[in-house]
Amino acid sequence: MLIRRCSALLAAAALVVGAGACSGAGASSSAAKTLTIAAVLDNNSFDPTQLNIGNQMQYWSPVFDTLLTRDKDNKLQPWLATAWKYDAARTTLNLKLKSGVKFSDGTLFDATAVKDNLVNLGAGTGQNSYMSRSIATYQIVSPTELNLKLKSPDPGLIDYLASVGGAMASPKSLKAKDVATTPVGSGPYVLDKTGTVVGSTYTYKRNPDYWNTAAFPYDKIVIKPMTDLTARLNAIKSGQVNGALTDTNSLADAQRSGLTANTTPVNWNGLLLMDRDGKLVPALKDVRVRKAINFAFDREAILKNVSHGQGALTTQIFNTAGDGYDKALDSTYNYDPAKAKQLLAEAGYADGFAITMPESPGFAQYNAIIEQQLGAVGIKVKWVKVPANAVIPEILSGKYPVAFMTLGSQSAWQDIQKAVTRKSPWNPLKAGDPQLDKLLATAQNAPAAQLPAAMKAVSKWLVDNAWFDPWYRENSVYLSDAKTAVAMQAYNVAPAISSFSPKE
Amino acid sequence: MFRFIGRRLIACAVLVVVIAGITFLLAFSGTSNVARNLLGESATPDQLAAKNAELGLDKPLLAQLGTWAQNALHGDLGISWFTNEPVSQAIANRLPVTLSMVVLAVALTALISVGLGVAAAVRGGWLDRVIQVLSVAGFALPNFWVALVLVVFFSVTLGVLPATGYVRLSESPGSWAAALVLPVASLVIGSTASAAQQVRGAVIDVLRQDFVRTLRARGISPRSVLFRHALRNAAIPALTVLSLQFIALLGGAVVIEKVFAIPGLGTLTINAALQGDVPVLMGVVVTLVVLVVIVNLVIDVVSGWVNPKVRVQ
Repeated sequence: MLIRRCSALLAAAALVVGAGACSGAGASSSAAKTLTIAAVLDNNSFDPTQLNIGNQMQYWSPVFDTLLTRDKDNKLQPWLATAWKYDAARTTLNLKLKSGVKFSDGTLFDATAVKDNLVNLGAGTGQNSYMSRSIATYQIVSPTELNLKLKSPDPGLIDYLASVGGAMASPKSLKAKDVATTPVGSGPYVLDKTGTVVGSTYTYKRNPDYWNTAAFPYDKIVIKPMTDLTARLNAIKSGQVNGALTDTNSLADAQRSGLTANTTPVNWNGLLLMDRDGKLVPALKDVRVRKAINFAFDREAILKNVSHGQGALTTQIFNTAGDGYDKALDSTYNYDPAKAKQLLAEAGYADGFAITMPESPGFAQYNAIIEQQLGAVGIKVKWVKVPANAVIPEILSGKYPVAFMTLGSQSAWQDIQKAVTRKSPWNPLKAGDPQLDKLLATAQNAPAAQLPAAMKAVSKWLVDNAWFDPWYRENSVYLSDAKTAVAMQAYNVAPAISSFSPKE
Repeated sequence: MFRFIGRRLIACAVLVVVIAGITFLLAFSGTSNVARNLLGESATPDQLAAKNAELGLDKPLLAQLGTWAQNALHGDLGISWFTNEPVSQAIANRLPVTLSMVVLAVALTALISVGLGVAAAVRGGWLDRVIQVLSVAGFALPNFWVALVLVVFFSVTLGVLPATGYVRLSESPGSWAAALVLPVASLVIGSTASAAQQVRGAVIDVLRQDFVRTLRARGISPRSVLFRHALRNAAIPALTVLSLQFIALLGGAVVIEKVFAIPGLGTLTINAALQGDVPVLMGVVVTLVVLVVIVNLVIDVVSGWVNPKVRVQ
């Protein structure tokens, strides 16, 4: 009798658990028009002044339209702004806007809304507030047209309008108390608060009034933050999610499981040679020393053994899809330790010298390589331990002459602002050169047709003067299952929601 | 009994204050990079200073502690610096998740370890040896490794249980149970191994005592001796071990939540610690201390109820 009761209980339990297991495997069994993805980070905020690019773009891209967008070939295309044009001096950008678009609270999208959003972003304290700070004044021509008057030419502005700089929220929501948790945009989806648990699941349902529903094939989007790589891999392998970011170490395993690897080379890995003026280590002021460091690294072996060949060798900081990239420069510093030693000897450092570098647990796989390869040409590395969450502030503090870094690259002007000018945050020792200043001024004021050449001239100068020591551009790897197609973007490690579509 | 509980409550309150104070001093003394991490690489020194002032980080450490304690006493644990979520709301959302996992794991640990421990103690022989070997093996296997093996087998290969995530009980009881099977199993294997050994030892000790021999001499049935007398006396060490297991399982849940992407207190703690999200860290630490204190208090009271000798001591 007892055995029979126990068996019945076990059977009932198995049924309940089994039913749960089926419903738990969301992506595989739910409606075909639902996209479920795992995100590397939790959402930080829906406040338009706090939006981030990178992994967190996936949270806001369903709800906020941008003024411009990028197509699969990384070309800028109209979105809420139907046309854009600079004047001859490149200090006034004219924008023509789509009419009849409404935010999800019913407010009409117009030129005043654009102005309110750009002013709000510039006044904010978010990571991307700089994106609208080159705008001095706004001239509203009509509800569907406005002019942005710039303090000086800003070649990055139209790129920003396809990113956080162009994200449009209802003006009424910008100062609302719940702006961080309740997004009010004109995007293809609205946040479904009943299906959303902060830190666990973010659910989006279709915006019933959206003006371009056909461009977004999914009826429902579910984003699950999963900070652990193993959890993301298990989730996609078991069919719980349709897409997830991985790293190059897990790629082979994922492909064996039948997943598709979608790649884009956004980040470059290598050394930031920040002390170009020799303030901390006088040797680094000599271009021959910086070139010697470039020759000292066996980029090919590092790419093959650390990143499993997922990437391409480079000597440049610029994105291959941007204006500044020049393929011819990529073979400038092929591995040649003998030449490195010779250059060091010519510069008067035949016996080498010492540098101090931050040692971050996040880059542990590179530290031994750096020490060995620099040591082989006579440069001794002294490491200073830095906690993982302090590595960027430490590098930007200007305490170190050299640091290893993985830096994302977007448009050429954006990268220049990030790491090349005398005010750039990733130029913490504020190094500069009159010749470089001249090249930057030329690029800043160049008409659209001459911009690529001007940016390439900057790239050539940076490579010739060994301002950096990039080794290779590493692929960001985004996995998708058999039911999902993903078009990777050149400027972002994780694809936006518009980049996903169901496979036929 | 009331005096006993009162003394325990006073000790608990002191413990909460001391641990909260130490955590605050440790966590807030390392906040020099928070503004930079929040505002990003292009923030100017003025913006960094303004952010520090907004977060109250420009004030002396003791003043910050005073403000935090005053707000905490009014039930306001602050707002996450990195996600803007109120800390009390973040904890309220995640505490049931962790508790679901840990309470189930403790209950199963109690059931299985008592069963195995008593069987090993009473039967002895080959069964005892097998249970001991299994206990050592279970104790030696790290719970994250067990978790990964279970996921690969049951989720990836067989596809019968979800690999990640958590479903609220109110949403779907079946999915809730399914989501907890593997995480709870990962926790239970190690904790049962340890607890079963303790129960075995306690039961053997009790069965060797004089009063058990007297009971047997009076002709009381072996079943009655075991379940009515021996087990009651062996319960004290077993309860102590279970209370320790509860605390250990809360720690173990941090790793298990990570492996299964379960949005509980463990995941919240790890993310807050990595980012330097001090308000969240403080809220979680205080919550966990209170939780541990409550569990210990309950165990103390139950021990006193089961065995009056404990009350006298």
